[in-house]
Amino acid sequence: MSLSIAERERYRRHLALSEIGAAGQEKLKAARVLIVGAGGLGSPAGLYLAAAGCGTLGLLDCDRVDLTNLQRQVLFDSASVGQPKAEAGRERLVALNPEIRIVDHALELRAANVREVIGQYDLVLDGTDRLATRYLISDACVILRRPFVSAAIHRFEGHLMSYVPGRGPCYRCLFPQAVDGIVANCAEAGVLGVLPGVLGTLQATEAIKLITGVGEPLVGRLLTYDALEMRFAEFKVTRRRDCAVCGDAPTITEPQDMQRDDATPEGLRRLTAAALNELLQRGAKPLLVDVREDAEFAAGHLDGALHIPLGQLPQRLAEIDPQADPVFICRSGGRSMAACQIALRANIRSPANLEGGMLAWAAGIDPSIRVI
Amino acid sequence: MTCTVRIASPLRSYTAGAATLTAHGSSLAEVLASLEQRCPGIRFRMIDEQDQIRPHMRLFVNSSEARELSAQVADGDTVHVICALSGG
Repeated sequence: MSLSIAERERYRRHLALSEIGAAGQEKLKAARVLIVGAGGLGSPAGLYLAAAGCGTLGLLDCDRVDLTNLQRQVLFDSASVGQPKAEAGRERLVALNPEIRIVDHALELRAANVREVIGQYDLVLDGTDRLATRYLISDACVILRRPFVSAAIHRFEGHLMSYVPGRGPCYRCLFPQAVDGIVANCAEAGVLGVLPGVLGTLQATEAIKLITGVGEPLVGRLLTYDALEMRFAEFKVTRRRDCAVCGDAPTITEPQDMQRDDATPEGLRRLTAAALNELLQRGAKPLLVDVREDAEFAAGHLDGALHIPLGQLPQRLAEIDPQADPVFICRSGGRSMAACQIALRANIRSPANLEGGMLAWAAGIDPSIRVI
Repeated sequence: MTCTVRIASPLRSYTAGAATLTAHGSSLAEVLASLEQRCPGIRFRMIDEQDQIRPHMRLFVNSSEARELSAQVADGDTVHVICALSGG
């Protein structure tokens, strides 16, 4: 795929690099890259890949631009608020580089469409904010034999790893399974705006290296970044022979939807600290079950709470009246969600999860309660 | 044996925000027990009821992954606690 005169001018600084040159730039022009998630990571990755002359760039996101996105999602500006992200992102990238083709996918990636979408591309960048989608991308890329570059962020910390079929571990080798509700959510925990700028730019760097074949890709190596300490670290990760998707005897042979991180299982109630407080103020006496460890419970707990550490719950279910509509409580809402699911399986009626746990209770209702 | 433990940011609420702590022990199990004494509740976030490392957590001694609590830790080593992150 040869370069036009205008392209030779635009990419002159790449052509000056012997490692890239005209041959590398032509590979970039021929490349088809899908960015899943036009957010904090997808913004810089999209901008740099468009600027670099990546010939076909897919931008997948089903959300609309929100004012709170602008603190870090540099693909958008104030006028974009309310617009579909895929569309607004495409407009921005077309303005940056009209020589390339931008495809907007305003949809949610699911098992039903992942083959069709990823099948159109040579390389995938994972910049999603949902674990369910992270596993779907990794599994689909292993099954469809597509390389992908995964990045993730939280507060001041970021992770990056690349996958190349047959050459190293996949995301599931690194983290075989993520438990719903236990991994912290960025929207609640906050994130330094520039953090995804660093990680998304590194994703674009990896993409350019994988496309042009230069350098050493981040395969079998997890790169971590701590912005507060300005520290990068690298860890060796090997393929798991028992990996469910890329192992010797895979049990996942088709992309499948995981339960969404924010999905509420049928029969389970979500209770905010304010809602629980209102219930208690009204004189209702729900059965409060605190599933934290001994030291955490001893530091401070709600009056009358029954203490059953999560690890003991399966053996102590008989202590919970199946008709009592129990409210499960932990520190931040993760373990209590797991407790609710155990209770549901044991046919305990309508268990409730205290969202945000005792941290939310202390923050919104009773600051004097000690939470460790 | 004294080692340094670097804590994943989602668990720093257990360490009063500290990214790095000192712990003692010659195996990962002992190091985590030492850590638990200082930061009650933190071990359960990494290790399940069957003493297995949780599938969304990875532990490394220096740059090598430790998949068992029996992994050896030497004086001056750094134990890294890494947690799956979901943000994008």
